Amino acid sequence: MPRTIAELPEDIRRRYPYRSRFVRVNGRRMHYIDEGPPDARPVLLLHGNPAWGYLWRAVVPPLLDAGLRVVVPDMVGLGLSEKPHDHSAYTLDNHAANLVALLDALELRGATFVCHDWGGPTGLAALATRPQTASAVAVMSTWAWAEPWSQFHSRVLPWRLLHAPVVGPYLMGTRAAMPGRGMYLSVVDRERFAAEASAGYTEVMADADERAATWIWPRSIPLGRDTDIVAERFGWLEEQVRAMRLPATVIWGREDDVFTTDVFTRHWQQVWPHAEGPHLVTGRHFLQEDSGAEIGELLVDFVSRVNEGYNHG
Amino acid sequence: MAEAPLVQIVDQRPEGHRSVPLLEEHQLGHYPEFREFLSAAFGLAADPLGAPGLLCVAGRAYELVFVGYSGHPFPAGVRIAALVPGLEPLDERQALDDLWAIAMWLVGEVGGEWDTAALARTGRIYRITPQEER
Repeated sequence: MPRTIAELPEDIRRRYPYRSRFVRVNGRRMHYIDEGPPDARPVLLLHGNPAWGYLWRAVVPPLLDAGLRVVVPDMVGLGLSEKPHDHSAYTLDNHAANLVALLDALELRGATFVCHDWGGPTGLAALATRPQTASAVAVMSTWAWAEPWSQFHSRVLPWRLLHAPVVGPYLMGTRAAMPGRGMYLSVVDRERFAAEASAGYTEVMADADERAATWIWPRSIPLGRDTDIVAERFGWLEEQVRAMRLPATVIWGREDDVFTTDVFTRHWQQVWPHAEGPHLVTGRHFLQEDSGAEIGELLVDFVSRVNEGYNHG
Repeated sequence: MAEAPLVQIVDQRPEGHRSVPLLEEHQLGHYPEFREFLSAAFGLAADPLGAPGLLCVAGRAYELVFVGYSGHPFPAGVRIAALVPGLEPLDERQALDDLWAIAMWLVGEVGGEWDTAALARTGRIYRITPQEER
């Protein structure tokens, strides 16, 4: 199993040519990159499941070209971070607390939090816990509440079957339904994804035991059932998020069929009436795969405007 | 579509076989109906810590070791292992297909909103099907 970017195949390394760094978070090894001037305004790019920092590879260059500092962690269980076999490592609280530990370790201040998928609930929970670390926030294909939930997630076929007891570890763990085919189905340009990107995700979870997070983590998505395990945390999170008045922007994939624009961008606008957007770009759930550079430029524009007058350090 | 192999609960563990772990499920309670079905099918309420459950898939034996966690109804999880004779290597492709058959059996037995046709379609969407259908 590769442990650093330098150990990955050349084709993947070339597309994500950064130095691997590690920090201990809650007893686990978290991989991250930290590029750009250390005293520049930081941008924190937060991925979800089953991605890793590689998802942001086309977003990073415009941010670095603009002179920003870019920090991209891999959530524990994914990418080049430690992949615990103990399923209890993958609770929403533990993931969020891992980000809090990262913020503390790097002593980040004035960061723009950019949250995608589970990067939303985890990143926003960390932000609520360490509000002094953030100056702005961007959200894309994510959520921070118990309701409304995604129709895609509430259907038996295929989503709930993918995570049903025994079936989930078979399809997602043994047979690697995610990240391979699952991500392929969640981009617009599938041919390009298969040719250029897919290996970057499958390479870092080549063995079944490394894929535990891919089927355990989605079981925390609240669906209004008695067995929802994090409804209380989502209740807390929504309350915190509704009270946030940081400069915010909403960026979404036009073709997103997981977190559909009609429900989710509308709800973000209701939660954050002051937010910019939604800026719609070509993309399904993994919109960075189709519009990474464009998202990078949108973020450069947003970060530059909301941080005018920022005093380095 | 090829006919699914017969999956049956059996009593007799084959002699001289070793246990080869294939899959772990720690959250049977994610959808409690799965836990309830397994508990009833293997008589776990009466004898929670007895011998592992046994399944036969077209003549091949599999073992189900039920797992408990404090604070969770029993069984909280299950480990599924192939029972392989002596020191012979596992036929991995066959085991993958048999796990698929076990998943289909489980979904069909749990019933209700859980539907084997939906699972078969999910398999096709994600390109996960038995060997003979590939």
